[in-house]
Amino acid sequence: MAQLALDVKGLSKSYGNKVVLDNLSFTAAMNDFSVVCGKPGNGKSVLVRTIMGLETVDAGSIIVRGKDVAQVSAGERNIGYVPQSFALYPHYSVKENIEYPLVLSKASDAEKKEAVERVSELLRIKDLLQKKPDQLSGGQKQRVAIARGLAKSTDVYVLDDPLVGLDFKLRERLIDDLRKTQEELKVSFVYLTSDPLEALSLARTVMILANGKIVQQDSLDVVYDQPNSIASMNSLGFPEANVLPGELSGTTFTSVLGSIKVKMDTNSSKVVAGIRPEGFVVGSGSGSFDGKISLLENLGSEFAVYFNVKNTNLVTVISRTDNEALNKVKNKSTTISYKPEAVVLFDAATGMRVGQGVSHV
Amino acid sequence: MYDIRLENVTKKFGDFTAVNDINFTIPKSSVTVLLGPSGCGKTTLMRMIAGLENPTQGKIFFGEHDVTNVPTRRRNIGMVFQYPVIYRNTSVRKNLELPLLSEKLSKQELDKRVDEVAEILGLTDVLKKFVEELDNGTRQKIAVGREVARQPRIILFDEPITNIDLTSKLELKRSLKELFGRLQQTIIYVTHDQTEAMTLADQIALMQDGVITQSDSPKEIYENPNSQFAGWFLGNPGMNFVPPQFISVSGSKVSSKMFSQTIDLGSKASSVDTFGVRAEGISVSPSEIKGGVKARVTRKSIGAGGQYLLDLAVENLLVKARVSHSIGRSVSENVWTTIESDSITFFDKSGKAI
Repeated sequence: MAQLALDVKGLSKSYGNKVVLDNLSFTAAMNDFSVVCGKPGNGKSVLVRTIMGLETVDAGSIIVRGKDVAQVSAGERNIGYVPQSFALYPHYSVKENIEYPLVLSKASDAEKKEAVERVSELLRIKDLLQKKPDQLSGGQKQRVAIARGLAKSTDVYVLDDPLVGLDFKLRERLIDDLRKTQEELKVSFVYLTSDPLEALSLARTVMILANGKIVQQDSLDVVYDQPNSIASMNSLGFPEANVLPGELSGTTFTSVLGSIKVKMDTNSSKVVAGIRPEGFVVGSGSGSFDGKISLLENLGSEFAVYFNVKNTNLVTVISRTDNEALNKVKNKSTTISYKPEAVVLFDAATGMRVGQGVSHV
Repeated sequence: MYDIRLENVTKKFGDFTAVNDINFTIPKSSVTVLLGPSGCGKTTLMRMIAGLENPTQGKIFFGEHDVTNVPTRRRNIGMVFQYPVIYRNTSVRKNLELPLLSEKLSKQELDKRVDEVAEILGLTDVLKKFVEELDNGTRQKIAVGREVARQPRIILFDEPITNIDLTSKLELKRSLKELFGRLQQTIIYVTHDQTEAMTLADQIALMQDGVITQSDSPKEIYENPNSQFAGWFLGNPGMNFVPPQFISVSGSKVSSKMFSQTIDLGSKASSVDTFGVRAEGISVSPSEIKGGVKARVTRKSIGAGGQYLLDLAVENLLVKARVSHSIGRSVSENVWTTIESDSITFFDKSGKAI
């Protein structure tokens, strides 16, 4: 097997009594686009800072290209870094901004020239090289900041939510740019974000970060289809998966949507269910119920339909061309059914998957 | 209530033309969203309607009244900004009441107005709370409520959701939608967020470089963009554009190896330069189909509702196709694609729809 770009093992970090990273482990392969995703407040920033060497660790190892760098200073880790906030030096030109990390590492003029050419081509900012940051639009600044992070010629890069706060169309473009950049450089990108659509758009490999741990690591397809925890289901999916409280009695799970038969893989007394928006079908069928429609969000190709059942807020998605469903959800309430196999049960205490729905009762 | 009419409205800042000779009517009692990328002139246009900027040229009418030189405070408009404008250290009820005090209403009338607005915005349960106890989504609702309670004829919203926490955004959107459905006022709403625009608007006025390039209902503007810009700006991802080398025109007939059939465009055929197709307009089959063109899958990702977005290479052309979860999950190297005629928009050399 090829050498791993990054192999993080048993990383722990506490501040006083507060455990932020809790025996956290994951691996990132060379030539892969890996996305660490999780809700805000799960330790993302601290994880980035420990990998980059801006924060010490209490325990664990950070193995970069086979060598443990946990005790090595930031400057010697040889990891490219695109930080979340991208302060550019206002008095420097775009070119000087991009070169700056290389000046720090005492690169030769030839190396600097090569790096500027490489990244300015990739991020389409060749025409901007002589400009000052205040002559650039927000999106151009962001591209320069990303270019600066990539200027360091290495094979492992950490990108900390670099698209946060950018408008829609710009993000769409930069997402394509980032994927193309990673593919052309054939390096390892480790990208951290709390935005599920970004994770879904960028990742080949996904790591789910929850409570200071990586709870699942797998290909995008597998994490999406087989979430091993409620955190996985919730962090990766758009609109966000529905959480459905309910009671388990034997192999019957009962919630506001009614009862279904379930198949348990692991025993659990107290469960919570998750169901993706696409698990619902607008219209009647077995196990149907009345949903009060609260908002139709027009996403262009489809509508997110927010509805309410006995004070539980839920969401499903319909296609803009599905006129039959569209007519139904334009009413105040409508009949909605769901696929029992779309209901996944998680242990209420651990959050881990314990079973799945089989059929309506 | 009245229409807002813009006549040859232009705004220059030095050499820069922010708004360029706009003629446009905003219909009364409806929600018009000014949508466009940063720098398109949408905020400047709204500020002129508010009276916060004076047009360099042109006139602005509210109904029959020329308000071009009328100061903001006499235009009878309400305004909601990116950050909630509310009074600190007071209750929600007080916040909603204060703008009404100058109207010398009876206690009964005052309470009625406040309660009504609170009910629509879902603030009834927090009326007694101090604003410090509330998240910024709820604070923005209070700012909205303050403007609505005054019952102005026009209410302007300048990106009211943009800076609200992710967790409160949806609830605020829901409240605004509910509110807009119940108000009789003329509403102008500025945003760069297409989902917000498509969700809230009766009509979208799409802006680029200081002009309104298209104004239509969300459905119409999405399905029938009048320019490549509109096709690209609306939708996530935006429309795919296919260049001339994939198109052949013979008399009135337009064909492409990517089409399921030849299309007769009559006399318009001669001006065809490119065509556009949305990601969901490309039919994808995992196995070879008659008349289908082979495409290589270069990337896969997942979009809303679990659908897959495929990056496809047809020869040297890259397009994005949206397919069901099961098809997306199963395809690997090659797929076969066709495009039905009703999914195609033709554009001329200048980028205008034909």
